[in-house]
Amino acid sequence: MRPLTITTREAVTGPVLEITGDLDHETAPELRKAVDDLTFASGQLLVLDLAGLAFCDSSGISALLSARNLAIEHGGRIALAAVPANTTRILRIVGLDQVFAIHPNAATATARRSAAG
Amino acid sequence: MMCRTDQSAPEPGEEQDVDATDAVFTSLLEDSAEELYEQAPCGYLSTLMDGTIAKINTTLLDWLGLERSRVVGRMRFADLLTVGGKLYHETHFAPLLQMKGEVSGIAMDIKTAGKQRMPALVTSKVKTSEDGEPMLIRTTVFDARERRAYEAELLRGRKAAEEARRQAEADRIRLQEALAVLQQSLLPPELPEVPGLETGSYYHTASPDLLGGDFYDLFPVGSGRWAFFLGDVCGKGPQAAAVTSLTRHTLRAAALHDADPVTVLNTLNTVLHDRYTSGDTRYCTAIFGVLEPDDGHFGVHLASGGHPSALIQRADGSADYLPTPGGLLVGVLPQASFTAARARLLPGDTLLLYTDGLTEARTGPDRELYGDDALRAFTAAQPPAGPKALITALSGLLASFGDGLDDDTALLALGVPAALPTPGAKV
Repeated sequence: MRPLTITTREAVTGPVLEITGDLDHETAPELRKAVDDLTFASGQLLVLDLAGLAFCDSSGISALLSARNLAIEHGGRIALAAVPANTTRILRIVGLDQVFAIHPNAATATARRSAAG
Repeated sequence: MMCRTDQSAPEPGEEQDVDATDAVFTSLLEDSAEELYEQAPCGYLSTLMDGTIAKINTTLLDWLGLERSRVVGRMRFADLLTVGGKLYHETHFAPLLQMKGEVSGIAMDIKTAGKQRMPALVTSKVKTSEDGEPMLIRTTVFDARERRAYEAELLRGRKAAEEARRQAEADRIRLQEALAVLQQSLLPPELPEVPGLETGSYYHTASPDLLGGDFYDLFPVGSGRWAFFLGDVCGKGPQAAAVTSLTRHTLRAAALHDADPVTVLNTLNTVLHDRYTSGDTRYCTAIFGVLEPDDGHFGVHLASGGHPSALIQRADGSADYLPTPGGLLVGVLPQASFTAARARLLPGDTLLLYTDGLTEARTGPDRELYGDDALRAFTAAQPPAGPKALITALSGLLASFGDGLDDDTALLALGVPAALPTPGAKV
């Protein structure tokens, strides 16, 4: 099992969380906390950069949805970037590919401010 | 007032200071050995070999609240003790002292002024003459009240800790029993008998500590129709179990009102979304369906919310998914879309519902995803011998995954027996 690390940076569009490691039952609360701790302005885009995501189970999917709910509560939007193939497959099975804006990488996610979300 | 006790080599020029300090130091010392004896911070007494008190200091007399004249030559050491202390002195202390010549640090209670008892630590030593004859007994008595209180405190602390441990153990057992009951309530104890239908089910628990989130059920909804569902709540543990329970009851109640699969999933979606919009978010995937008997076969009408497609093993030895793409995880959006599908189960056909513990299992040395294609191939390779045989084969498959299977897995198989007599005759 790989530990979860979450690095926060600011892009012009809003906060970008780089998520690395396993997102599962043990680590999902860390993502929720990281999103809770964000200073998030209305109209901003929260990007979850999943390029380093090694594993994501149903608790991880729940945590992604929690992040989405928090972004919307703050009047913002959310996008996923660089989603690994296996997680893409799971998102498709559970229909969440229709719910999340998904970008090939963080650069396109933060560049396409008006189109995201 | 301070005295300098750590002076070693005085610096030149400090001679005057040192002399002055020594003068103060001397004046602070007891001016006589007698003074030291009488006012010592412990009790002293000397007795004859029979215990008669010959000499006693003021400190001890003050504790006892007695006049010297009433004690010296008139009382024995044992007379100063409580009844318990007296007994202990007679049976242990005195014999030991006689044998060894000294006894050290024995805890005994002495009687003090106002008939109080005072815990004390007693040390005695026999003084002998030059030719070794015992002459008298010298005894010191230390005030042990503080120490006894401290020991009592320790004892109380230990008792409290033991009580807390007992309580924790009782709580743990009660919690385990509650968890077992709750876990049982999440699954039907056994599937009901359905006329003209054979059924099979299996539940694999990945972790005995974490309540699973997989669930299934089969129940009548009137007019000879039967409803079934199988699903998986996101996450693990008590919160997931609470959602599992809510989901099962909602599906059953909704089905009795209107068993249309998309309507039922919409109702569940509304219930989960309303309850879990803020704070801790919980979702589930589910397939809900209705079986309707018709002329020796069953019509199947089902819908999926984010759940892997059902698989049908046909009597001719083929196996195909009943695709329900695009159905959304239940509880995410206030208005969700669910995908419905229809099929017919002819004699010898078996409908298989499963949770993704099966298809997401990792196999082989490279821990590759087991996947949809492998499940279809495995099912097609099984003889079409009905739900029970298929469940047996699949539980063997799950066991073969070993620790590649790290999620709970539920299986539900519903099939029409191949050996039905003339179609339409008995249903």
